Amino acid sequence: MKSTQVRTNAALSRKIPGQRGRVWRQMVKRSDLYLMLLLPIAWYLIFHYGPMYGLQIAFKNFNPAKGIIGSSWVGFDHFVRFFESFYFWRLLWNTLAINLFSLLIAFPISILLALIVNEIRSKTFSKILQNITFIPHFISVVVIVGILNVFLSPTTGPINSLIEALGGSPIRFLEEAGWFKTIFIGSNIWQNMGWQSIIYIAALSGVNPQLYEAAKMDGASRLRRVWHISLPGIIPVIVIMLILDIGHFMDIGFEKILLMQNNLNIESSDVISTFVYTTGILKGEYSYTAAIGLFNSAINLVLLLLVNRFARKVSETSLW
Amino acid sequence: MSKHWARGALSTALISALLLAGCGSNSEKGAESKNTEGSSETTVSASGFPLTKDSITLKMFTRIAPVNGAFKDMPVFQDYEKMSNVHVEFTEAPTDGFQEKKNLLFASNELPDAFYRSGISQLEATRYGAAGQLIPLEDLIEKYAPNLKKLMEEYPEIRSGITTPEGHIYAIPGIVTLDAARTDKKWINQAWLKKLNMDIPVTTDDLYNVLVAFRDKDPNGNGKKDELPMTARAPVPGQGLPIVNMMSGSFGLDQQLGYNINLVNDKVEIWMGNDRNKEMLQYLNKLYKEKLLDPDMFSQKEADYLAKQSSGNTGFFFDQTNNVFMPIKDQYTGIAPFKGPHGDQMQSQGAPIARDFGAFAITSANKNPELTMRWIDYFYSDEGSTMLRFGREGENYEMKDGIPYYTEAFLASGDQGKITPYAGGGAPHLISDKVASFINPPQVQEAQDKLTPFMPKVRYASPMFDENTAQEVNVLRNDIDKYYEEQSTKFIAGALSFDKWDEFQSTLKKMKIDKLQDLYQQAYDKMKK
Repeated sequence: MKSTQVRTNAALSRKIPGQRGRVWRQMVKRSDLYLMLLLPIAWYLIFHYGPMYGLQIAFKNFNPAKGIIGSSWVGFDHFVRFFESFYFWRLLWNTLAINLFSLLIAFPISILLALIVNEIRSKTFSKILQNITFIPHFISVVVIVGILNVFLSPTTGPINSLIEALGGSPIRFLEEAGWFKTIFIGSNIWQNMGWQSIIYIAALSGVNPQLYEAAKMDGASRLRRVWHISLPGIIPVIVIMLILDIGHFMDIGFEKILLMQNNLNIESSDVISTFVYTTGILKGEYSYTAAIGLFNSAINLVLLLLVNRFARKVSETSLW
Repeated sequence: MSKHWARGALSTALISALLLAGCGSNSEKGAESKNTEGSSETTVSASGFPLTKDSITLKMFTRIAPVNGAFKDMPVFQDYEKMSNVHVEFTEAPTDGFQEKKNLLFASNELPDAFYRSGISQLEATRYGAAGQLIPLEDLIEKYAPNLKKLMEEYPEIRSGITTPEGHIYAIPGIVTLDAARTDKKWINQAWLKKLNMDIPVTTDDLYNVLVAFRDKDPNGNGKKDELPMTARAPVPGQGLPIVNMMSGSFGLDQQLGYNINLVNDKVEIWMGNDRNKEMLQYLNKLYKEKLLDPDMFSQKEADYLAKQSSGNTGFFFDQTNNVFMPIKDQYTGIAPFKGPHGDQMQSQGAPIARDFGAFAITSANKNPELTMRWIDYFYSDEGSTMLRFGREGENYEMKDGIPYYTEAFLASGDQGKITPYAGGGAPHLISDKVASFINPPQVQEAQDKLTPFMPKVRYASPMFDENTAQEVNVLRNDIDKYYEEQSTKFIAGALSFDKWDEFQSTLKKMKIDKLQDLYQQAYDKMKK
C-alpha cells in the first residue's frame, strides 16, 4: 500500500511543471535513504550488469590469452552446434519437464499446507506442524543427497527393506532413469514445502476475520469458507509467487541434480545447467557453453513475459 | 524461492571467469613480449647446484590428493630448496574441483609460473599452447633438461607422444619406465579358489564358473551368502568405463592411441560399434544380471571400492598395486588375462611410457623459464626421483643393494602419502624399477609377469593434433564418448536390451564416428612417419 502511495506522489510531482527542484530537494532531505540504496545499485551494476559484457563470447571463439575483446567473432556457430547436438532435445525436455512437474505438483502443495495450517484450531499443533515441515529447508544439498542414498539403497536402505518385507523385489531407485524425476521432485517438496508455505500463511492471517464470521452466520461449511474466503484472499500472492517461480524456471537445483547423476539415470537427469557445468567448466569450452546459457536465459525471459502478461489479463495482478 | 543458490553456483562461476577474463586482456601484451625476449632475469648456472646464485621464488599451481599433506612440509621440497636455492610457493587445489580451478586460471589468464602435477590434457596443451599461455619447451629441454632429454632419446615414443604437429612441446609428462606401474593387475582370491578346490580361471567361461562358485558355495565359510564375486572402479564421466577397459582384451579389443582403437595392419579401427564389443557387453551383462558383478559398480565411491579390496570378502578385482590389501595380501594372487570366445588373450589396458601427460607446464607468466626447466629436470634422474618418492635417507628410507626402501618405523607411522607428492598419482618425475620398491614388491612383480606376455609390443599414446583438428576431435568426442559410456552402462546393467544394438550403431554413425576414425588414422600415419 505504502509503496503505491509513494509512487503516486512522485508521479504527481513530476507532472507539475517547475517542481523539479522540489524532487531534488526531497532527495537531499532523505539523502540517508538514497545513500542506502547506493549499495544494492552498485551490487547490481557490478555483479549482474557488468558480467553481461562477457556474454559476447557466445558469439566468439573465446581465447583467454587474447581476452574477450580480442577473440574472433564466429556469429551463431556455437548456437548451431548446440541445436544440432545429439543431446539438444534431451536436455531441453529434461529441463522443461522437471520444472513443469515441479510447478504442477510442488507449487500447489505449499498452498495446501498453508490452508491446512490456517485451519488447525490448536495453536500448539499448528506450530508443531509448521516446524516439522519447515526444518528440512535448512539441510544442505549434499546432506540431502546423502540421506537419499542411504534411504534408497537397494541393499541396506529401509525403503527397500520395507518393499522386500511386503514381498516385492528391491528397486534401484537412484539408478533407474524412470525414478529420477519422482525422487528429485519428491525430495524437493519434502524439503521446501514448509518454507514456501510461510508466505501464504502470512497472507492468510491478513484476511479479514469478519468475512469468516459472516460466512459462518450464513451457514457456510468449513470447506466453503476455505474455498470462497481463504483462497480468493491469497490469490494475488499466489499469482506473484507463480511469476517469481517462473523467473527461475530454467535454472533448477543444479547441484542436487549433479550429485544425484550417474550413467544409469542420466537420460532423465541431464539438464542444461549440468551440461553447461560439465562441458563448460570441466572441459574449458567457454564460448560453447556461454551460448547454451544464453539460450537458456532467453527461453526463461520469454516464459516470464508470457506468464506476467497472462496473469495481468486474467487476475489483474502482475509484477509490472 | 528456493532456487537462488542453485542459480548462484553456476552463474557465479561463469561470471567470475568472464569478469577476470576481461581484466586479463591487458596482460596479453606482457605475455607476448616475454615470448620474444626469451631472456631471463636471473642467471642460471649451466650445471650443478645451486641452480641460481640469488635465491628466487616460483609460484606453482598443483593438485593435492586426499592422502597428501601440505607440499611445503614435504622433506623433498624443503631439501631441494636448500640444494637449488629456488623457493617454490605452491597453490594447492584438492583433487575434487581441481579441473574446475585449473580451467578458471586459464580462462581468467591469472597464471602461476608453472603447473605442477597438473593433469593437462592433450587438448588443453594444444589449446593453451596455441593461445600463448603455455610456452613451448622443446628448446628448453634441449639446453636445460639433460635427464629428461636422455629419457626421450632412450624412449622415442615419449617425444612423439608429447610433440604437437607443429613441433612444439607444451607440457612434460610423468615418465614410467616400469611396466608394472602402467597397468592394473588382475587379482583373484586364491584362498577361496583353494577352499573350493578350483583352478585359476583361464578363459572367460572359466571366470564365469569361478564367480558362480564364489557366489553360491560360501568360500568364506561363514554360512552366509555375503561374498562379492567381482568388482571394479566406478566410471568417471568422460574417461571411459573401467570395467570395459579391464576386460576388453579378452574380446580382441585393444586400447591404442589412448582410445577405443584397434590397429590392424596400420589401419585405425574404432571398435565401439563392433560386434566384438557387443559380445563383451553381453558377457558383462550376464555377470551383472546374475549378481556376479558388483551391483554398486556404477555408483560407488573410490573409498568404497578400496574398502572392498581390503575386506577380504571380494573374489576378483583390478588394481595396480597390492598396497590397499597389504595386510591380507596372501589371500590374493595376480593372474593372466582371460582367453575370450574367439581365442583372444590380451592385456589391452595399459598406459604408455609417458604415462601422465601434462604433469608439468611452464606459463607465459614465468620470468625464469630456464631456471624452472632445470628445477624440474632433477626429478627425472634416479637421484631426484628417489628424493621425491622416499624423502630423507635414514629418516624415511634406507638403501639396500642400491635401491631405496621405506624404513619399517616410517611405514608403521602410516604417513607415507604425506611426505611425497607421488602418492595420489600424476606427479612429474621418473618411475623406474630403481624407485618402486613400495609400489612394486615381489607379489606385484609376479602379477605383472603374468600380464607382460599378453601386452602389445608398442603402446601408442594419444596422438597430438594440431589446434583445429584437436578442436574437431573434441567436438566429436564430446558427444560420442558420452553416448558410448551411457549406453554401455545401460547394456551392462540390463537397462537397455541388446535388440537396440543396431540403433546404437546407427547413432554412432550419425555422430560421425567415421570422421573421428579418419582423424585418428591421419594422426597415426603422421606418427609412423
